[in-house]
Amino acid sequence: MRMRLKLKTVFVMYFMVSLLGLIYALMQLGQRCDCRDHDMSKDQQISHLQTELRKLQEHVKTSELKKTDVPRIYVITPTYARLVQKAELTRLSHTFLHVPQLHWIVVEDSPHPTSLVTDFLAASGLTYTHLHKLTPKDRKLQEGDPSWLKPRGAEQRNEGLRWLREMGAAAEGKEAAALEEAVVYFADDDNTYSLQLFEEMRYTYRVSVWPVGLVGGMKFERPVVEDGKVVRFHTGWRPNRPFPIDMAGFAVSLRSVMTNPEARFDGDAQMGFLESSFLQHLVTMDDLEPKADLCTKVLVWHTRTEKPKMKREDALQKQGLGSDPDVEV
Amino acid sequence: MPKRKDFLALVLIVLPWTLLITFWHQRAGNPLLPVLKVNRTGASKSHQRSFRLHESCIIKNKHITEVTRIKYVHSHSPPWSDALPTLHVITPTYSRPVQKAELTRLTNTLLHVPKLHWLVVEDAAQRTAMVSRLLENTGMNYTHLNVETPPNLKVLKKPRNARIPRGTMQRNLALRWLRENINSRSGHKGVVYFADDDNTYSLELFEEMRWTLKASVWPVAFVGGLRYESPKINSQGKVFGWRTVFDPHRPFAIDMAGFAVNLQLILSKPQAYFKLKGVKGGYQESSLLQDLVTLSDLEPKASNCTKVLVWHTRTERPLLVNEGKKGFTNASVEV
Repeated sequence: MRMRLKLKTVFVMYFMVSLLGLIYALMQLGQRCDCRDHDMSKDQQISHLQTELRKLQEHVKTSELKKTDVPRIYVITPTYARLVQKAELTRLSHTFLHVPQLHWIVVEDSPHPTSLVTDFLAASGLTYTHLHKLTPKDRKLQEGDPSWLKPRGAEQRNEGLRWLREMGAAAEGKEAAALEEAVVYFADDDNTYSLQLFEEMRYTYRVSVWPVGLVGGMKFERPVVEDGKVVRFHTGWRPNRPFPIDMAGFAVSLRSVMTNPEARFDGDAQMGFLESSFLQHLVTMDDLEPKADLCTKVLVWHTRTEKPKMKREDALQKQGLGSDPDVEV
Repeated sequence: MPKRKDFLALVLIVLPWTLLITFWHQRAGNPLLPVLKVNRTGASKSHQRSFRLHESCIIKNKHITEVTRIKYVHSHSPPWSDALPTLHVITPTYSRPVQKAELTRLTNTLLHVPKLHWLVVEDAAQRTAMVSRLLENTGMNYTHLNVETPPNLKVLKKPRNARIPRGTMQRNLALRWLRENINSRSGHKGVVYFADDDNTYSLELFEEMRWTLKASVWPVAFVGGLRYESPKINSQGKVFGWRTVFDPHRPFAIDMAGFAVNLQLILSKPQAYFKLKGVKGGYQESSLLQDLVTLSDLEPKASNCTKVLVWHTRTERPLLVNEGKKGFTNASVEV
């Protein structure tokens, strides 16, 4: 009997304890049902999150592009009609589309705007100004001339500067304030530009400089910086020029352009002195602002595009069977 | 009778404990607890606990997102959740002074294209740091591969058909990667395009090729010594020939940049690759396409092949005459 009583008590105690324990555990796991749902949609959750992430990145990107509180960059690109023109402008526009507050000034070497460039710019999605200025015949490179014979694009760049000065003088209020901080860059249509370059040049007080890749017969040319100042230029060709730097290797503030109305490119300058002819009106070597990690990173390359071989096309043209001229290339 | 009672007692004792142990086991095996609903009534202690769980939940979710991303970057299939077909763009590349510039401007173009998976295949024994860094900085969906073309097969001194046309082994490796990493039964919709790193592509081109059912074609500028080469389209909108001067009787007289193939077609014909040797000049594209489609399968794009949306540009080799024998410029600066 004693045994039984003991057993009964033990049993009852045991039962109560386990019942309480079970209730406690069930309370903890009260949301088991939800858990299961979430398990199955884990993958969906991940995809959903990634989509959200991408949406946010897009939003950040577009809001960056819509940023109006960063200095504007005016990019002056001289261009001329040749087979690869549309291709060059196309891939250049793809780069510019990523840069916030960029205003593209395209100046054609032509007596009037061509439909190719007009239509292209209209479809590009960029903020642009379309100008044109014909190079006088005696300054123009003839067919068969080596590219280094005469400096190219001087008239067109000067036309861009003229437009900027005119626009700057007419600006008022908020627009004038925006122009105070703006920067001007000369971008040829066959070079290659990284996106970082534009952020480097955006904050220029007078003239900022940086290395340029694949130019002057070298892997890169660059200003040499000591104690935060440019002391000389590392270049393999004619280092004794006032500014032995490529067109793609500097940017000037719009303020400097406006306050020095005589500063322009000299189309008659000796080869390699085109940049100097402009910069010497604006700044001395001491005042140059080095960018790109004190001129140690290459963020722009002086690439050149081959002239496509047209011998079959020429042969066909002679027979009157050339490819459809209505198809724009 | 006592025996039965005892037995009953035993069962009643053991049962709740087994149930309890089972539940605890399940809970321990499930690390991802969901976000608790705010309106849950309960003891204040359990509420605090739920808040802690919520935090670990978020952290764990972030962790999972990151892990997926890293996994994807190192050659795993990207997640498919959108209805848009993925563009798998295969770009073979090799080391030369303009390589970084070419890849940079190609990146600037591709960054505008949604749902794009870029397969960059280096012609190198090892993946280079420059390309790795460049790809990482783009933020794009990419896969970085490499295979080195045996140097003896690159040499120009060999007769033409003993040489492997440049980029062949690299493109084939990318095709193999797609076949090994994408399950043809997963319902994944995609299109494969071969984009060399020196050509120029308009954004319109990518949207034209995205809806390829089998294989689509369009004109390419500056190839074959012409302003552009293009397929010939008849009144029914079908390709019946090729408007080229150079060997128009090739099975597919088209440049690498002038066609795209539906991914399912690539996956369903695992033997189709670019032929490595014995390929006559201009027949490379045919060596792949003839195993995949016939002329009548081709879908003309770009307004029935009347618009030029891609240009076969070539970049001049820079004359590094001033570098000299020892290299004038600092070798540690990346160009």
